[in-house]
Amino acid sequence: MLLVIVLLLTVTPIYIVLSNSLRKTLEMKIMPPKILFEPTTIHFERLFLIDNFYRYFFNSVIISVSVTIVTIVLGTFTAYGFKICKSRVGEFVSNFLLLGKLVPPITILIPLYIMLNSVRLTGTYLGPILAHSALGLAFITWLLTSFIRNIPMELLESACVDGSTRMNTLYKIVFPMLTPVLASAVILIMRFSWNELMFSLQLTNIRTYPLTVGIARYVGAISVDWGKSSAAATIAMIPMILIGFIMQKYLVAGLSSGAVKG
Amino acid sequence: MRKRFNCSLEKGDLLPVLLILPATLLIAVILVIPLTVGFTLSFFNFRFGSFNPAQDFVGLANYVQFFQDQTALKSVVNTLMFSGGAIFGMMVFGTIVALLLFHLPPIVSRYIRPVITMPLLISPIVIGLIWRYIYDPQGILYWVLGLFGLSIQHFPGVTGASTALFSTIVVHCWQVIPFVVIVLTAGLVSIPTELYEAAAMDGVGAWKTFWKITFPLLLDVYMVILLVTGVDTIMVFDVIFALTGGGPNNSTISTSIYAFNQAFALSNFSYAMVISTITMILSFLIFGIPFIRRNLARVGD
Repeated sequence: MLLVIVLLLTVTPIYIVLSNSLRKTLEMKIMPPKILFEPTTIHFERLFLIDNFYRYFFNSVIISVSVTIVTIVLGTFTAYGFKICKSRVGEFVSNFLLLGKLVPPITILIPLYIMLNSVRLTGTYLGPILAHSALGLAFITWLLTSFIRNIPMELLESACVDGSTRMNTLYKIVFPMLTPVLASAVILIMRFSWNELMFSLQLTNIRTYPLTVGIARYVGAISVDWGKSSAAATIAMIPMILIGFIMQKYLVAGLSSGAVKG
Repeated sequence: MRKRFNCSLEKGDLLPVLLILPATLLIAVILVIPLTVGFTLSFFNFRFGSFNPAQDFVGLANYVQFFQDQTALKSVVNTLMFSGGAIFGMMVFGTIVALLLFHLPPIVSRYIRPVITMPLLISPIVIGLIWRYIYDPQGILYWVLGLFGLSIQHFPGVTGASTALFSTIVVHCWQVIPFVVIVLTAGLVSIPTELYEAAAMDGVGAWKTFWKITFPLLLDVYMVILLVTGVDTIMVFDVIFALTGGGPNNSTISTSIYAFNQAFALSNFSYAMVISTITMILSFLIFGIPFIRRNLARVGD
């Protein structure tokens, strides 16, 4: 019984926004809302034909995919660099970097905006990509470092004896072993970048707005156009929910790693 | 051959350095330098176009202004109340849901877990949008309350200064409780079932079993949840931005929202940096020591 309430409380708000994206504007204010109704695609049509919403979608894809690539590549390099140093300094540094979590994003955003503005880089993709990557890198590096730590050194050394260079060892031996933790890292960093609002709000402009900023502009209007903004919200959440469902195992592993590994 | 894996910088082995350098540069340029710049500019009166460091140095004046500014002090109180309320809500309801799920047959919970984790995948701005519709005076919440004979006068939601902050806390909890559930479940699995069996044999009730067995064994897990989710509540921005924008009558303004508005709506960049610096100080004051102790302990093990 309690469980049914929990499930209802979780699903209902999501169902409301999904169904409103297909509901006629006039029917949205009718209470109780009809579970079955005649769907309309008018909100999506307005979104794509009038507001060029596909551009926001592609901007979100460009930003979050770039952030994922930058973070995963740099994070793996750094974790591997720490490993081949064979000292504990790397672990110490990666733990120290976690302190970055205590720094509020707003404390970074305001001076970063001033800096990027003075070199005329606001309004480009570069701003949010750099900001998201830097913010995500600390946790991803820590996650990968704590995983790479458990790979036996002998394995790397025997590859070395067989004549493999250290970069080759990274690609051929370490990278395949990292697959599960990399999957966790990918879903976590994608989720973060895809959903991030504050940095994108100030560091992008009309040409580079991602979905979150597009939605924020609809919500910020004096009277909210529920149909259009529900359709926009649907487009923003469906890809992430699908990826989350497919990668459920890695999402859960990534989220709980901090507590379990500690 | 073993030697090739040593970090022998003195022999000119630059590979580890080359591997670590890009990430270090990125973090330095995007995080460390802005932090330094921001802190420095908080002692100036920064304006775009006409900024002259020699003339615009104001010392601690911006900080003095902060402590005389009623809205600023209100934003600090709101942030602390939001943090306290959200942590309390997340812990209590997260624990209840985690225990509920844990006692289900594995086949059932395997299908329920992906559903429960959905809110974690949705952007806070979308969640704000959804709940704004729910809290709408003509929306679904008041229809449900109406069934119980309650109206908007009894619970004004986001439109009333007395209940707006509570309403934003509810929304934040709705999103973050699944995280608490996931982490607690990972902890619950690690508790040996013999302990529960022994307690059941001695006829110990569920309430007592939780406080005598589960909670003490999961204390460390609770600590991690407290740190990870608590830090986020001090910096709360998205949910409030989407739901109320800080209103009505500044009753939900958080330090992050106030700093954002001062910077980007009013162009008071230096004052905004004072507010954001104070947000950071709050975060370090409350969570810094446990956070640092935990991270140092990690290096030791």
